Amino acid sequence: MNRSISRVFWAMAAGFLVLTGMLGYWQVVHAGAINDRPGNPQAIRRSQLIARGPILAADGRPLAVSVSNNASGQVIYHRTYPNGTLAPQTVGYSDIIHGSTALEQSQNGWLTGDYGAESLLVRLGLRSRRGAAVHTTIVPAAQAIANQLLAGQRGAVVALDPRTGAVLVMASSPGFNLNDVSGHFASILKQPGSPLLNKTVQHGYPPGSTFKVVTVTAALESGLYTPQSRFDDTGTVNASGHPLHNFNGERFGPHDLTFALTNSINTTFAKIGLVLGAQRLGSTMQAFGFGRAPSVDLPAGMVVPSGRTASTGHILPSDQAGEDTARIAIGQEQLSVTPLQNAMIAAGIAGKGTIMTPYLVQRVTDTGGSVLMTHRPSVFSKATTPKVAAEVTAMMRNVVKEGTGTAAALSGLDVAGKTGTAETGVAGINDAWFIGFAPSSAARVAVAVLIENTASQGGVVAAPIARAVMQSIIARSN
Amino acid sequence: MSRRTRELGLLVPAAAVALLGAMSVANAQSRSLEAGPIAVIGVIAGLFLLMHIALRLRASQADPYLLPIVATITAIGMVTLYRINPVLAREQVLWLGVATAVFICTLAFIPDHHVLEQYRYIFGLSAVALLMATVVFGTDISGAKLWIRLPGGQTVQPSELTKILLVVFLAGYLRDKRELLAIPTRRVLGMSMPPMVVLGPMLVIMGTCLAVLGLLNDFGTPLLYFGVFVAMLYVASGRVGYVVAAFGLFIVGAVAIWAVVPHVQARVDTWLHPFAEAQGSGYQLVQSTYALANAGLVGPGWGQGFLLGDRGHYVVPVLDTDFIFTAYAAELGFLGAVALLCLFIVLVARGFTIAAQAPDGFSKLLAVGLATTIGVQAFVIVGGIVRVIPLTGVTLPFMSYGGSSVVTNFAIIGLLAVVSHRSRVPYRPRVPRKVRRDAALAAEGIGE
Repeated sequence: MNRSISRVFWAMAAGFLVLTGMLGYWQVVHAGAINDRPGNPQAIRRSQLIARGPILAADGRPLAVSVSNNASGQVIYHRTYPNGTLAPQTVGYSDIIHGSTALEQSQNGWLTGDYGAESLLVRLGLRSRRGAAVHTTIVPAAQAIANQLLAGQRGAVVALDPRTGAVLVMASSPGFNLNDVSGHFASILKQPGSPLLNKTVQHGYPPGSTFKVVTVTAALESGLYTPQSRFDDTGTVNASGHPLHNFNGERFGPHDLTFALTNSINTTFAKIGLVLGAQRLGSTMQAFGFGRAPSVDLPAGMVVPSGRTASTGHILPSDQAGEDTARIAIGQEQLSVTPLQNAMIAAGIAGKGTIMTPYLVQRVTDTGGSVLMTHRPSVFSKATTPKVAAEVTAMMRNVVKEGTGTAAALSGLDVAGKTGTAETGVAGINDAWFIGFAPSSAARVAVAVLIENTASQGGVVAAPIARAVMQSIIARSN
Repeated sequence: MSRRTRELGLLVPAAAVALLGAMSVANAQSRSLEAGPIAVIGVIAGLFLLMHIALRLRASQADPYLLPIVATITAIGMVTLYRINPVLAREQVLWLGVATAVFICTLAFIPDHHVLEQYRYIFGLSAVALLMATVVFGTDISGAKLWIRLPGGQTVQPSELTKILLVVFLAGYLRDKRELLAIPTRRVLGMSMPPMVVLGPMLVIMGTCLAVLGLLNDFGTPLLYFGVFVAMLYVASGRVGYVVAAFGLFIVGAVAIWAVVPHVQARVDTWLHPFAEAQGSGYQLVQSTYALANAGLVGPGWGQGFLLGDRGHYVVPVLDTDFIFTAYAAELGFLGAVALLCLFIVLVARGFTIAAQAPDGFSKLLAVGLATTIGVQAFVIVGGIVRVIPLTGVTLPFMSYGGSSVVTNFAIIGLLAVVSHRSRVPYRPRVPRKVRRDAALAAEGIGE
């Protein structure tokens, strides 16, 4: 009998071993996948138990902070946004139901204290879990001015420091209040103009005449043209079998290249485009960063690349052979450019031909204040040579001095820029642009301003916003 | 060191588990350790001391590990219950008091378990009668009609008591028919079978019990009874053939029930794909799985998990009974849960050791049956939670909230103590004083 007794015991022990194995599967082996399941209340609560680190503006002003309160005996944290309307699409939100976006998503590792050996120390009970602080490059004063001037319109403003790539302003209108996400998400979704969309990076727009900065750079690089090259405008050019006119049907007669950029003469740039051809134009576009999107410390895939929209819907880095280079040269033909890319074009000229990698996170510090990470500026691309950049700068300065961009002029400062007014396909409704930088000799700020769906032109509606934003930033750095 | 002194020493760690556990729960909830839990822990410790004293007086040679293991599991259960529902924890202390009384009565009134053997049919028939009574007078609680409401408003779960009655019946019956079982006389379907007259009464009683439980919409308890039955049948006969035959019958029966009863199909579907019905029939299992996964290897610690919502409701349904294991494993993690499972298997091992050391067949079968009851019951509920088998609502011994369960399980421990004591100290019936004196005088040759 005792042999049977011992066998029954071992059978039961084997059963308990199976229990242990399955328990280990759920609690350890497969736990990660279970924890990641959407709607898992345990994961939601666990995220609430972490004192999420703050997101701060360049002046230390809080953009996102965690506030503690008591729930059935446990201290839990919830996220609030003290300046919730300042840069909602750039800061992003971290919400139990609606997930997380923008910096709240991309910086989650730092913000939740999940970096280095920290999570191991927390796990061993040697340290309580505290999120690190993310210091951004956003300049609140300039960002607020951008918001204020964009208010009531659909549009976007990007301001970069051309010397480092720091994103000083990243504004998208209409905006929303980040504090409304948890309670009033539906009403945000209902608002017109896609407030959740970060128009500076998530969407491309026809660049219109601002693209002439790329064209003129390609022209000068080719050696076929100088700023003094002569042209004669008859008001019309035949391109790809269709006549192409100037804005408002103007005729400029004989002029040089500088004059052509200053007055944004379509016919002249169309002729240049035809001469340069797809290959030269395309390689300059790629040098300016078309076709590849910098992450700007935002979540992967949030920043869309700029380029030509192919018939497949894909964005191509440059033109394909056989395309209408006359119309591409003046910023038409399904060109799609994000405000960020346009600011990078301005920054490339401002930076003497070098585009620095744009970034939003200046540094990360732990709760004790010690620096965990500092951004090191890096070169994103070589857009052109310093010589060509200087020539283009001189021409762009003329645009602001006496051309289409006079509204961007700042007293006592040299501003260089280029306006753009892109047709949207609906008569009388345009996307208005201004790109530029200041001071033109040693630029401290490069800017791109977009106003969507306006009856007006870039020089009228976009240039004044660029002027105010640049003024604010230069006043700050003085 | 005497067996009882060793037992007393081993009760200290159990008390430490209770104290440290209550402290960590109180700390996690940012409260100071109020007088309440300490007083309650004192009461629980006192109850175990009473049981210890009863063992000293009535079963001094009983296994010294039974009570400390049970005390540790009880301490874990009490802390877990206190963490999720302090009111229920206090009620459970009352039930523990009743269980202590039943434990002491078991030792006091059953000095020798062999007396039970002659009443085996009474036990078997009472089991059937109790379950029948449940059908007639039963109250439906959470989908199964397993409870009888007493006039005082309390409910008892007869199927818990029935399991002891059945084990005693089976031990007596199998002891009686052991030799006949071991000698097959004919072959059925290629398998040797004993005469039907040998199997008949046992199969009738077991079959009736299982059928009645099926009627009551309970599938966990029949699974438990069946497991215990197979284990005892195997120990009595030593024949693997019976085990194979029994499992064959079980599978045929299970498939038949699955094919006929729609809600059994639903339960099997829930078992295999709980996430497909995460908001419906799979809700319990899904929430339990979330809680288990959240704990990971070591868990956040007692009181630190997310078991109670903001309004104090359970995040996992029926957390105090069916899912008490989840409540524990969600905070003490995989290692803590494995430690608890080890306590159970060690307790079962003690029961089997008692069986192996017992001198006679009835004692062996009784001890195996009782130990298997605890082991299989823990397996059925934990196996349901970790999805080794479909989830059926049985209690986790010594842990789940509920009076019937805790009282029955302490009676089981009492019986095991008696069996182990009697295998060392054979029972000598106390003879009346006059008879004894006459015998003494006769021995000395002094007559009148």
